[in-house]
Amino acid sequence: MHDGTHAAALPAGWGGGVSPFGATWQKTMMWIFIVTDGLLFSGLLSGYGFLRMSSLTPWPDRSQVFSIPFIALMTFILITSSATMGTAVGASKLGDRKTALRFLILTIVGGAAFLACQAYEWTHIIEHGARLSHNPWGAPQFGQAFFILTGFHGSHVLSGLVVLTITAIRTAMGKTPAQGVEMAGLYWHFVDLVWVFIFTLFYLL
Amino acid sequence: MTDEAKAHGPYRIYWVTWGILLIITVAMLAAEKFHFPRLFLVLFLVVFMLVKATMIGGNFMHLRYEQRNLAFIVAAGLLVTSAILFSFITPESLSVRARRSEPAAAPTTPAHHP
Repeated sequence: MHDGTHAAALPAGWGGGVSPFGATWQKTMMWIFIVTDGLLFSGLLSGYGFLRMSSLTPWPDRSQVFSIPFIALMTFILITSSATMGTAVGASKLGDRKTALRFLILTIVGGAAFLACQAYEWTHIIEHGARLSHNPWGAPQFGQAFFILTGFHGSHVLSGLVVLTITAIRTAMGKTPAQGVEMAGLYWHFVDLVWVFIFTLFYLL
Repeated sequence: MTDEAKAHGPYRIYWVTWGILLIITVAMLAAEKFHFPRLFLVLFLVVFMLVKATMIGGNFMHLRYEQRNLAFIVAAGLLVTSAILFSFITPESLSVRARRSEPAAAPTTPAHHP
């Protein structure tokens, strides 16, 4: 349907026209995706809450299971990669392709470093005998919560890296418009946002 | 990007946010080391977790520059759904815990007829 016809067909009083959020359709769709993906993590974190609160066996002391300074390093890497991503988005909006590419590459390096840290952490935990069904530290549900929460988050980081790599290659070729970099950035910041919740609710509380 | 942001350097907002996020993270880690009462620690960590989330959403994801209705729908949608999920799950998990902690019921013996 032609936009004008579509707008005319909208009920009186709507007032949002064809752009109710004042954003492009790409950005609107990206936000819808982010909200639905956020609901996925909301469900996972609630499930973790259920497992923990309903457990009779004491929940393991995280500082005995993990190296908290190492988790802090992972957090530092992810926050820094979000700042480099923001800079890449800003540069692409200003038409500075070279700076955008440089900061996109830095973001990819940060994401890869985070994933490497996570792989190290998983290896360490598995070597100590943790599985989905049991672990040597306490409540058996702890293993499920750990592997599912960090596994889902890690898979998001991995897919973010794929998106960023494609965006960086296309930026180098001059094919990605500023909006493309911004969409990749929204997803990457979302991954950082989810980590804020996992870091606090799972590792610190 | 606003004129104000351009005037202060186009990327300044991202690195200022980065610095504040790092300071908050260090404060959260430090709070863990002190032996605060549990309720105070939980409140402290949850409040600063939400502050960090707001800063990432507002400054990194540019929600502060978008129309208010977009920011409101995103924040309200996620917060309200999470609040509903947790409010239903908390009593349920406590009741499961109570049932698990009950001693196993004695096996019922059939009535003996001499």
